[in-house]
Amino acid sequence: MRSYSRRNVLAFGAIAGTAWLGSTPARADNSVAIGFAGPMTGPVAAFGNEIKRGIDLAIDAVNAKGGVRGKKLVVVVRDDEFDPVKTVGAYRDLIERQNVVALVGTANSAAMLAVTPLLNDQYKIPAICVHTDATAIIHNQAEKEGRDNYLFRLGMFGSGQADFLVDSIVKKFGLAKVGLLTWTAGYGQIGRKELTRRLSELGMKPVADETFETGDTDMTAQLLKLKDAGADVIMHYGTIKEAVSIFQTRKKLGDPMIPFVSSWGIAVPALWKAAGDLAEGTIDSNVVTVDGPQSPERQAVIDAYHKAYNRQFDDPASFFDAYDAVMLFALAMDKSGFEPSAIRTALENIPSYHGAGLSVDHPVFTKENHEGYRLADMMLGRWTSGKFLRIGYDEKGPFVTPAEGQKRYIDPKTFALQ
Amino acid sequence: MFFFFQILLNGIATGAIYALIAVGYSVTFTTMRVLNFGLGMWVMLGGMLTYSLYVAWDLGIVVTALGVAALLGLLGVVAERFTVRPFVKAGSEAWVMATLAVGLLYVDIAELVWGRNSLAVPGFLGENVIRLGAVGVYPQQLLIVAATVAAFLGLDYFYYRTLWGSAFRAVAHNPEVARLMGINAGAIATASYALAGILAGFAGMLVVPITTADPQMGAVLGLKAFVVPIVAGLASPRGILFCGVAYGAIEGLISGYLFSGIRDILAFALMIVILYFRPEGLFGRPSFERA
Repeated sequence: MRSYSRRNVLAFGAIAGTAWLGSTPARADNSVAIGFAGPMTGPVAAFGNEIKRGIDLAIDAVNAKGGVRGKKLVVVVRDDEFDPVKTVGAYRDLIERQNVVALVGTANSAAMLAVTPLLNDQYKIPAICVHTDATAIIHNQAEKEGRDNYLFRLGMFGSGQADFLVDSIVKKFGLAKVGLLTWTAGYGQIGRKELTRRLSELGMKPVADETFETGDTDMTAQLLKLKDAGADVIMHYGTIKEAVSIFQTRKKLGDPMIPFVSSWGIAVPALWKAAGDLAEGTIDSNVVTVDGPQSPERQAVIDAYHKAYNRQFDDPASFFDAYDAVMLFALAMDKSGFEPSAIRTALENIPSYHGAGLSVDHPVFTKENHEGYRLADMMLGRWTSGKFLRIGYDEKGPFVTPAEGQKRYIDPKTFALQ
Repeated sequence: MFFFFQILLNGIATGAIYALIAVGYSVTFTTMRVLNFGLGMWVMLGGMLTYSLYVAWDLGIVVTALGVAALLGLLGVVAERFTVRPFVKAGSEAWVMATLAVGLLYVDIAELVWGRNSLAVPGFLGENVIRLGAVGVYPQQLLIVAATVAAFLGLDYFYYRTLWGSAFRAVAHNPEVARLMGINAGAIATASYALAGILAGFAGMLVVPITTADPQMGAVLGLKAFVVPIVAGLASPRGILFCGVAYGAIEGLISGYLFSGIRDILAFALMIVILYFRPEGLFGRPSFERA
């Protein structure tokens, strides 16, 4: 009896002590926890699970080298079912009960926008967003007011992606007559607005501005109008399903086919699964690809992925951004300890980073810039026989490298391989 | 002129699909006064099954069609027995929710089984574009139009030339009298629900080479196809064929000559105007209503 009550007292003391420590996060097993809430079940579970795989493999890599300051890293995962209301609940749980000191962002821009004020104003816990590209997540109220901004991002962001797409196509490919073909839902209309803005900044305007609805199965009218307007290139913002309809209709209308450029929204292996050969020659923006020759760092992680999961990637960008996010957190903790506000400050002061996804000689984040990917770090890829190959440029023009030492030039007018 | 014909031809192919789905609404309504509000999801299920049978297992088009018909027909029997009949018998209108619930169940199951990605299904007659002068058309689109016309001719034959068809019409006209004549009205109700399921499955099978197959494809198709029997008159198969094709063509022409954003607004507004002047539908006969 005595020992029993003694244990009770001790347990109570431990709980009370933890509560009293308050802002100093402590976990019973002397580990440090990174939190992640994302869609682990339901229709978009593929993205949540891909982000988690990135976190898991990065944590394995960190712990294999002894962890951070002698502590093991762990991840605590909550399923938010792609529902912003559940994301908010999950974040409260992760921060208040699970004592996470940093977070990897969820897969839903609306959910990320919902938790942004919580992180900045209430909890002051740093989060690195992956997959979500709404500009306002990073350019939030705290940033506007010059307060500490706890939100960072690795991945595409709305305005940057539009700048990159337009600049690449207009300046590097030399195409001047840009026709827009965008989805009428939110993502497509944000894209339409941003592309139009960038074109007008360059003193241009789209020669045609067509839209399509969710579930449209035939794009004949839109494509004929784009053709009649003399568009050299179609810039698209939308989802895979309607992109397939566009490809099918384009083939039906016959040669010459107008080249097709899109955002990272469709730059995932699922595009080729749905469209097959119809996607050949499509150019997408993205931040990474796993196809074609890779740097040794990235190839090692790709191999680790295949070994650990024995499957193909669902979304390489989500995976590598999550992987890099954990690595950057580990670097920041190594430098400044486990206090969330200190981690935040340390993230702004990492002088250079050569990771599996992002590789830069300048600081990833600074006090003024919380976007890890700058325009120069983004990439265009060309779908080539089922592979998403990074596009490079030399004096002879744009090219892809299907295998080491193999250079295939792209006709900038048709996107065909020469 | 090229522009006009290219758009018209595509509109007709799209409209044929609407008609094929729409007749499914009509079949159950005329016999049981019940509408399967989840019918779009049955179309989706037909499409997803087509992917598994025709693409994943490579069983050929005949086996695929038989498989789709068998499973959707069986599901129709089960769904009628357990989600429609109990409510109709009890004089409740809860079958409205039940038919929707079955549809949503299909979506969730499909997402579990096939995932959420769009799955490609090749055309049954190949992928080479047929050129009629400058106008291009996929063989699958011609197949859709041909299959829809064949389905309607078959239905016509069934309704007016077969004993079962006569029984269907008798139950539609007056179930009580039909029962007194020795017709098993319950069996007819079940059969009509199964028939609607099979037609929806065929529609899904025919449409996926054009649209790709994914669990969310049913909602939009089901809703648009619902407009057709409402405008045509629920009890008029020939009217449904005409209105379905016309609806597809009008949709195409609106997107082509105005812009696609206004298409659904104009098309649905047109439906409201027609219903205002002809509540029974363009081809409906008020006398067909039960007193």
